[in-house]
Amino acid sequence: MTDAPTSDELMTILIARELRNGELAVTGASSLVPVAACLLAQQLHAPDLTLILPSGVVNPRPGRLYRSAADGRWVPGAEAVGSGYDLFEMSENGRLDVMFYGGVQIDRHGNVNLTATGLDQGPLPAFRGPGLANTSFAVVSGRIILFSAGHTPRTFVERVDYLTAAGHLDGGSSRADAGITTQGPVLCVTPLVTFDFDEAHRMRVRSVHHGVSDDEVVARTGFHLPTEPPWPRTPPPTTDELATLRHIVDGTGELRA
Amino acid sequence: MDASSPPPAARTVRTSKATALSEAVALVPSGSFVALGGLWFHNNPSAAVHELIRQGVEGLTIVAAPPSSYAVDLLIGAGAVRTAYLAHVSFDHLGMAPNFRRAGESGEVEIIDGDEALLLGGLMATLEALPKHPVHSLKGTDLLRRSPLAGSSDAFGGADVAAPAAMAPDVCLLHAQEADIYGNVRYEGTPFCDPLLAKASHKVIVCVDRLVDNDEIRREPHLTVIPGYLVDAVVETPYGAHPCASQGHYAHDEERLTAYMAAGRTAAGWRSDYLEPYVLRPRTPQEYLAAVGGAERIERLASVVS
Repeated sequence: MTDAPTSDELMTILIARELRNGELAVTGASSLVPVAACLLAQQLHAPDLTLILPSGVVNPRPGRLYRSAADGRWVPGAEAVGSGYDLFEMSENGRLDVMFYGGVQIDRHGNVNLTATGLDQGPLPAFRGPGLANTSFAVVSGRIILFSAGHTPRTFVERVDYLTAAGHLDGGSSRADAGITTQGPVLCVTPLVTFDFDEAHRMRVRSVHHGVSDDEVVARTGFHLPTEPPWPRTPPPTTDELATLRHIVDGTGELRA
Repeated sequence: MDASSPPPAARTVRTSKATALSEAVALVPSGSFVALGGLWFHNNPSAAVHELIRQGVEGLTIVAAPPSSYAVDLLIGAGAVRTAYLAHVSFDHLGMAPNFRRAGESGEVEIIDGDEALLLGGLMATLEALPKHPVHSLKGTDLLRRSPLAGSSDAFGGADVAAPAAMAPDVCLLHAQEADIYGNVRYEGTPFCDPLLAKASHKVIVCVDRLVDNDEIRREPHLTVIPGYLVDAVVETPYGAHPCASQGHYAHDEERLTAYMAAGRTAAGWRSDYLEPYVLRPRTPQEYLAAVGGAERIERLASVVS
């Protein structure tokens, strides 16, 4: 185990550490990293974590990772195959503990935009995003873990152009004031850093990954970070975490591609 | 009854719903409201959508499962859609849906943004014979503030409760693995929103990879997900979901889907490099199959993973 972890492997391990035994976690589109994180957590410290894929497949165990969220090859060996109605039920009653979101834009209060940007220029957007299948999970899920394969000022913005999934809205008590009783975003993992949120629900640097400078984090984040560097370093993957990920969860090396 | 007479034999014959693809699609006139089944690359009614486009249908309103993909993007690219009720449209891990994105940026198609709660809520209102179906779970979002689907519900606690109006498509197009000629439809893998879309729609057309005998359906009735009473036409279309997947039969075709996306970088390129050679020129599903490399190639897709 001499190879350094890739960005995807590192993000997978960092998210896995945040997942708790017994939780119910649901993943969305383009979510290979959170899927792998759930499967890894099941192997390491959370054997009773339940993973539900966006197609409704419960606790898949295919012995490798598939990139498509709805790939039929997740089904053989799974424990159950649910339907769209099962996800609707959870999106209303809040059965799930953890949901994962990436975004075209993520703002300093953890709000997510997957719908469109440049809406202030007229009725048509400058960029039309894919949209979001389930925005409700951001309201009803116990907590949210954000992730982003890109870390640029265009992704991490002061304020989302369209609020597709609710983070901490305007910060402070605004989420609770809107009648939302769940925790909201607690973490955001990128190839550079792990963010968490301060008391005012502003995104702040929790730790900076190996090989990344504090200056680079500042330069590549499009909003003012509330605490000053130097920031703590991210605890690197352990031998056990990396070996379990590579040998049991991702034997074909999809996270290394 | 004379005890010695033989028992009466069955005298009636049930009506077959097995239909040719071109005739089934004739149930979808221009201007219809069409529901499209499947999700992402799973169970897209591709063969039916190809035939719709070949028949020159236009001015459609469409709705699809919350995560949708190829079938939606194809209909939009072909210029067949006027209004679209959609949540998420993408080529999943491969990237953006090119025609959907272009139409959203040009305004060529009226895209009404929804999400699972809004789309399924509207469909469920139809099932429940109610005018609306309140959903509480959109608090704080621009969907609640801006989407025409969100409506409002005075009866359920005020402005932060959305109430999508009942949504009743004229025709539902589905792809599943097997059915009999009476329209009893079997799914391997998730049916996802297909049963809901079918129940909310006035007419239901199901394309299947394989027709099976009614006796086979009766041997394992628990596998029937959509019973025949919901179905108007069933069409045998082997490989009919291609380039998308049909659970247990074939995987999605990343090579073709990637080529579709590459062609889709411009509207003109997509028409000349995808729509013409793969949709308009083949006159039948058989000719389409030949154009994409034949059945044997599709059978091998399950071993191709990327």
